[in-house]
Amino acid sequence: MRRIRAQARKELTQIIRDWRTLALALVLPLILLVLLSTALSLTVNELPIVVQDFDGSSASRNFIDTFRASITLHVAIWPVDKTAEEALASNTARAVLIIPFHFGRNMARGASSPVQFLVDASDANTAKLASGYASQITSAYNQQTAGGAEAGPVQAAMRLWFNPGLSAKKYYGPGIFVLGISMFPPLLAALAMAKEGEQKTILQVYVSSISAHEFLLGKILAFMDVALAECLVMSLFLFTYFGLGFAGDPTPVLVATVLYAFCVASFGTMVGATIPNQAAALQVVAFGGFLLVFLLSGLMFPVQNIPVGLRWISTFIWGRYYIEVVRDALLQGGGWPAVWYKVLIIGAIGALFYGIAWFGMRRMQVKA
Amino acid sequence: MRELFKNLFNYRLRALIKKEFTEIRHDRRLIFTLIFPPVVQLMLLGFALSAAVSNLRLGEVDDSRTPESRELIAILTESKSFRLAGYYSSVTELGNAVSQSSVDAGMVVPYDYARDLARDRSTTVQFLLNAMNANTATIGQGYAEGAIQNYDSGLRQQGVHVRVQQIAGSDLVRRGQVQLQPAFLYNPGLVDSWFIVTGVLGLLLILNSSLVSSAAMVREREAGTIEQLLMSPATTSEIIIAKITPLFLLLFVMMFVSIGVLRLAFGVPFHGSVLLLLLGGALCILSGISVGTVIATFSKSAQQAQLTSFFVNPPLSSLSGALNPVEAMPKWLQPLTVLNPIHHFATIARGCTLKGSGFMELWPNFLGLTIFALVFVSLSIWRFRKQFS
Repeated sequence: MRRIRAQARKELTQIIRDWRTLALALVLPLILLVLLSTALSLTVNELPIVVQDFDGSSASRNFIDTFRASITLHVAIWPVDKTAEEALASNTARAVLIIPFHFGRNMARGASSPVQFLVDASDANTAKLASGYASQITSAYNQQTAGGAEAGPVQAAMRLWFNPGLSAKKYYGPGIFVLGISMFPPLLAALAMAKEGEQKTILQVYVSSISAHEFLLGKILAFMDVALAECLVMSLFLFTYFGLGFAGDPTPVLVATVLYAFCVASFGTMVGATIPNQAAALQVVAFGGFLLVFLLSGLMFPVQNIPVGLRWISTFIWGRYYIEVVRDALLQGGGWPAVWYKVLIIGAIGALFYGIAWFGMRRMQVKA
Repeated sequence: MRELFKNLFNYRLRALIKKEFTEIRHDRRLIFTLIFPPVVQLMLLGFALSAAVSNLRLGEVDDSRTPESRELIAILTESKSFRLAGYYSSVTELGNAVSQSSVDAGMVVPYDYARDLARDRSTTVQFLLNAMNANTATIGQGYAEGAIQNYDSGLRQQGVHVRVQQIAGSDLVRRGQVQLQPAFLYNPGLVDSWFIVTGVLGLLLILNSSLVSSAAMVREREAGTIEQLLMSPATTSEIIIAKITPLFLLLFVMMFVSIGVLRLAFGVPFHGSVLLLLLGGALCILSGISVGTVIATFSKSAQQAQLTSFFVNPPLSSLSGALNPVEAMPKWLQPLTVLNPIHHFATIARGCTLKGSGFMELWPNFLGLTIFALVFVSLSIWRFRKQFS
């Protein structure tokens, strides 16, 4: 135990001496957190649409005003003598609302009047959102003109749980938080471990009385400290700027955080031990810590949408479970019954990484 | 600049270019890593990244247990959007299921549902949605409301002859209804992957060209041969142009292969001019190469260069509108996309393939890309000279 602590202290001294890298590892995740959590969102605000009003009656203007009142759409008028497709092709608007001639007359007669809504579907998701918004606005308008009497026999009372303001920030914030922890501590750990192999200082370790387990644990302990410090700094941001708080029992996420810090530190150490080349180790961490955690963990796109042939990979992505635990703690509040097995899996993957790191170190010894 | 053009194809430059080509020919691995991984990445990202909302798990609390309530449930779950995940006996149980993520949505049908309908009174069903993910929740809400509205209008038509006799008087002042007819242009099948792959193409072009070029520049520096190059009569611009040319050609081949993947694996339609797309791609590669060169002049080793691009790439790729719409970004970040070559190329790629736009519509993006490439190429030449002083 004393030797583990000594090894960790040596490692921390080295980290603190290279204070520029440490500052980078602590500040960059914060920048990423603020930047990406808002930039990744898929739900649009003030989507630009244009209206072609062929009728020009008070009824049509009234109808357009209902669209103007929505905060999700930004309405501009498109001259009648230009074609509607021009607005879409020149990227001025994402959708065109076309109100036909005789719209007002039809409405006054009590006949139903068709209104075209052309959506630029090159982005299918935004197209779905836009047409959803438009039909909601239209049905609101219909109910309003009918004086509420025409309300259908079955009404749906919608309740949005956990994130009633539909804020994208609250969903992506925890995800980027996990991404930051999955990226930077293993990066430092891999570089430090690969450096030992590159500069052959590992030989000194072999001739000293420290055992392989003590050496690895000491290193991992040091980088766990880095991960936990990063965690602390970022969670301050989550609790203030993102307005998040514990939704339920905080113990699962606390346990999971410690285990995850172990997991990512072991990942970095494992990469460094098996690939004693700093540049190559860096690339592997970039692939595992960034690309895999970013793409296959449900951070941005739901895991269920990944085709079955690829989805099995995400079962092994350590970040995925931690993202789910953090989101549960900060938004859903399901507590232990919801996440107990995810916490266990994080620990298991961490142990696996540790095992491989130990194995890799033994091989490095044979080579050296 | 004039001098540069005058010397553009003198024999010194040709000799330098030949040297770079020989170097690349010896580095078979580079050729392999340039062609193969982008194709895999394109396939992986195109198939794996999808924001589609389907098969949401719906939990039910049916207190009515009548044919009418079962019909409503059947209507909601017969579409691809929702699938029935289970019945719960009480609202608390359903609430627990939602918070433990075993269902994504829940519907509560009240016990007097069928009775109210039979009495021609309106009735309210409660619909719970896990709104953690704003996108899924918004689209799911739209699906549910649409399904219930359709069900409503079906009910209204069934009861129409009964009701007309009762409220014939008030029927006269009935106002007309607006029928919204949405039409999806450019992608009527709403294929999600088309948007992603056209964006990812730009992402790959910029990221790969910056990585490859920074590696090539730094290698010369690490080996110490860069001083020899500078000692030769060749000018800085000649050295840079000679370095860029073979990489540019290689990356162009990579782009060709990637466009083939778009067409064959994803069936992206090419409504516009392919030539315009290639021109945009060439500008994009040039921008990427010059970004890589600038990074390389700031770093002393390959590792430093990689670390720097590790920090440059995530913001560059996420603030590009390649994976999500620019309108979804916060207002103060949106103007920044004008500076981002990936954004311009993504717009060009989508215009040339899906929308069939021509140069008339896309010239602002071409202008943006050209300015970006020019600024960064000059910056790299300037930095290259400067890095030794």
